[in-house]
Amino acid sequence: MSLRLLKAAAAALTLCAFAPAMAPGPAAAQSFDRPVRIVVPFAPGGTSDILARLIAPKLSEAVGQPVVVENKPGAAGNIGADAVAKARPDGHTLLLMDIGSLAIAPSLFSDLSYNVENDLAPVGMVMFGPYVLAVNPSVPAKNVAELVAYAKANPGKLAVANSGVGALNHITAVALARDLGIDWKNVPYKGGAAASRAVVSGESTVIINGATATLPFVTNGQLVGIAVTGDERLAALPNVETFKEAKLPLNDAGTWQGLLTSGKTPPEVVAKLNAELNKILAMPDIQAKIAEQGGSVRPGTPDAVKTWLTTNIKSWGDIVRAADIKTN
Amino acid sequence: MRVVTRRRFGWPDLLFGGFLIVAAAGTLVATRNLVGGTAADMGPAYMPRAIALVLLAFGVFFAVRGVLRGPVGIETVQLRPILGVGAAVGVFALLIESGGLALASFAAILIAAVASRESRFFEVILFGLGVTAAAVLLFVKALALPVSIWPW
Amino acid sequence: MELFDNLLLGLSTALQLNNLIYCLIGVVIGTAIGVLPGIGPIPTVALLLPFTFGLAPASALIMLAGIFYGAQYGGSTTAILVNVPGETSSVVTCLDGHEMAKRGRAGPALAIAAISSFFAGTVATVVIAVLSLPLAALALKFTAVEYFSLLVLGLFAAVILAHGSVAKSLAMVFLGLLIGTVGIDVNSGVARMTFGIPALSDGLDFVPVAMGMFGLAEIIANLERPAVRQVVSQKLRDLIPSRADLRAAFPAMVRGTVIGSALGVLPGGGAALPPFTAYALEKKVAKDPSRFGKGAIEGVAGPEAANNAGAQTSFIPLLTLGIPANALMALMIGALMMQGIQPGPQVMTEQPELVWGVIASMWTGNLMLLVINLPLVGLWVSMLKIPYRLLFPAIVLFCCIGTYGISNSAFNVWLMLGCAVVGYFFIKVGVEPAPLLLGLVLGPQLEENFRRAMQLSDGDPSVFVTRPISAVLLLVVAVMLLAMLSPAVLKTRERALAE
Repeated sequence: MSLRLLKAAAAALTLCAFAPAMAPGPAAAQSFDRPVRIVVPFAPGGTSDILARLIAPKLSEAVGQPVVVENKPGAAGNIGADAVAKARPDGHTLLLMDIGSLAIAPSLFSDLSYNVENDLAPVGMVMFGPYVLAVNPSVPAKNVAELVAYAKANPGKLAVANSGVGALNHITAVALARDLGIDWKNVPYKGGAAASRAVVSGESTVIINGATATLPFVTNGQLVGIAVTGDERLAALPNVETFKEAKLPLNDAGTWQGLLTSGKTPPEVVAKLNAELNKILAMPDIQAKIAEQGGSVRPGTPDAVKTWLTTNIKSWGDIVRAADIKTN
Repeated sequence: MRVVTRRRFGWPDLLFGGFLIVAAAGTLVATRNLVGGTAADMGPAYMPRAIALVLLAFGVFFAVRGVLRGPVGIETVQLRPILGVGAAVGVFALLIESGGLALASFAAILIAAVASRESRFFEVILFGLGVTAAAVLLFVKALALPVSIWPW
Repeated sequence: MELFDNLLLGLSTALQLNNLIYCLIGVVIGTAIGVLPGIGPIPTVALLLPFTFGLAPASALIMLAGIFYGAQYGGSTTAILVNVPGETSSVVTCLDGHEMAKRGRAGPALAIAAISSFFAGTVATVVIAVLSLPLAALALKFTAVEYFSLLVLGLFAAVILAHGSVAKSLAMVFLGLLIGTVGIDVNSGVARMTFGIPALSDGLDFVPVAMGMFGLAEIIANLERPAVRQVVSQKLRDLIPSRADLRAAFPAMVRGTVIGSALGVLPGGGAALPPFTAYALEKKVAKDPSRFGKGAIEGVAGPEAANNAGAQTSFIPLLTLGIPANALMALMIGALMMQGIQPGPQVMTEQPELVWGVIASMWTGNLMLLVINLPLVGLWVSMLKIPYRLLFPAIVLFCCIGTYGISNSAFNVWLMLGCAVVGYFFIKVGVEPAPLLLGLVLGPQLEENFRRAMQLSDGDPSVFVTRPISAVLLLVVAVMLLAMLSPAVLKTRERALAE
């Protein structure tokens, strides 16, 4: 039985490392009587996953139950979202994801197995991370005006790398092209990292992606920053104008990470979760870690997220239908 | 080791060829509604169809070779191992989400043991309990696999 | 002597007592999860991520890196002992490693795996220190065009993997390519052959397919035969490789290390290409290729070295360019950012003690792994004394749990069951599953890169021969093809085809 001995030793070792997360916190709230799961519908390592793992120990202290992060990847996040939509509606199963993809899903997938607005109940917004529009240095453009002029002079020459057909940055690129009247190729990759690599190497030439992933390349001169979304310029790129300043549409595009639970969850449970989430988001250490992810915390009410979803389902839907993007 | 030699076919080749033909045909049916495109501008169905056609050719080649060259038999299929192992895996898949890890593990060990003629009843029960406990400790407690331990 | 200074700086970081301890924790956890089938380093690293916030950046990265290459050591143990490949890279180790175990040579197989890994790890550390900048530049030259040509070469080499009939292994490669097309097509976003099952939309996971076709199918086939009393000798002489073993394995180790170091730098194919290519090369250069698949020690040494070297050099794009070569490297970037370090080329100049500390820790970590693993060989071999009637239900269970854990879905368990039945069928009709698995891994990338290359060149196929790297790769394929069709070889091929 030496195998088991060794495994037990390994188990004991890892157990020590995990002990803090397992220990139930003080002041158990009455409405939470078993472990809480935060479902992240993507593989480990992405923004949603890291956020969930940041929040989990704090939430565990607040509700007095262990909080585990469960990765349920697949089908652009729909497998995980579906699992939460169909979970017991008692606030013990949460979903943390980029709610922009949630807003696109109904227009992209005609056979979605859950209803985004009815089967999921928003708990609150977690963070917003702006997009950076950047180009490979081989493109003779240093700002939006030059890029648009170049794109108009060379139709079909620029290639925009995106993280997959129907991904937010794909649809953003499609909408930009439509509004600016330019013609560029949309080149799909498997995820944002592959897309970044392709633009750094010059295989594709333009990228619109989260600030976290793109900033280092811009500050290093491997990519040239053209514009950023969000209300203000980025501290790290003071000379790069915002979409708004450059009169580009979609100033709000970016990653909006939100927390949700199953649709029929009683409002008082949602309210309790929202209060705890906002308390967590007010903690300085959490704010600092989220800033390192290239974003800022966005505490708010469940209703605010609901309104956000309704508005965006419509606006993204219009773009998806106009561009005739289909996945099945 | 008994060997079946029905008629004079080369059974391994014939069966493998048949398998490939079925796989190829299934692919062609499953992709019938997708866009094919051309080699320079491939649609989603181009690759699956192209590969399926190659497999079809391989399938026919093996099947014909199987018919012409024989006799080669294959070892008798024994039902007990494949049913035992298969059922153990299937029961695990059914139980893991609703019944919890402890129940699913214990059931899988017990059913898998049926696959072997040499299993001894009490030994398997004891061993199953031990392995189940180890699995729960290792996967749920140490590796934090997000799965419940008990059915409730 | 800047390199020397850098390595000294790195060693001074890596040899600090606390960093040595984190390195040890990392490699021990890595070995343990590597031994468990299906449970890979990625979920473990994700799980441990929050606990690294409190550590110094160098300590955190040293520990997480240790988990990664420690898992590569552990994975080969399971492959050799029970024929269950827990990761892409250990499929090749199953081929000859498990055969050696069946012949009572589990000890030498495990020892050679550990020694090869250590040798490759040591060389790869030096490679990273000396060549990381040029290799990173080479990696950036690999666009869709070059990648496609490389994959063609890789698949072509797969034919050599076959033990018996070339025709059968070609058919299996194509079958692998076919099931690789299942899922959402990256280029058009359209779901293919998913039969309305959402779990299939990202394609078939490699691990359930490999564990079903290798591990479970082999168990089913074993149970049909009357139990053979395993002769397990615990004598030291039977546990350690003989001098002849070492002499045979050493050149294979060197070749494997070279292949692994070069291919590991490339994104995507990193995990699958090095061991498969190394195995194909060993079989090609061997005087008697028929020994392969029957317990040839070079068939363990080469791929194991390639695998470990590749695992290590896959850090190069991360350390020099800030670009993750695989999902695990993406996690490492997450870990860095949590420490307030923006990954990218500037890290090399701004945080030299971090970068060189991690590089140096890879060598200390590999040394620890060797010291941990060699004495464990006896322990692992004694595990084979457990009667098979008890061992096999436990393997079945661990396969189930491991597959479930990949994406926490029962679907993968069902998939593994289906693959076990198909794998059993393959055993009955006498075909090898390894080429199929290579096709499954490389097929989607082959198609994706071909179509992307065509999209970017506006449908002009001449890019494949006008770009130099791609042209050279395709030339190698053409030469191999000519060599295969040359009259002398043709005869043996005909015999093989007739088989």
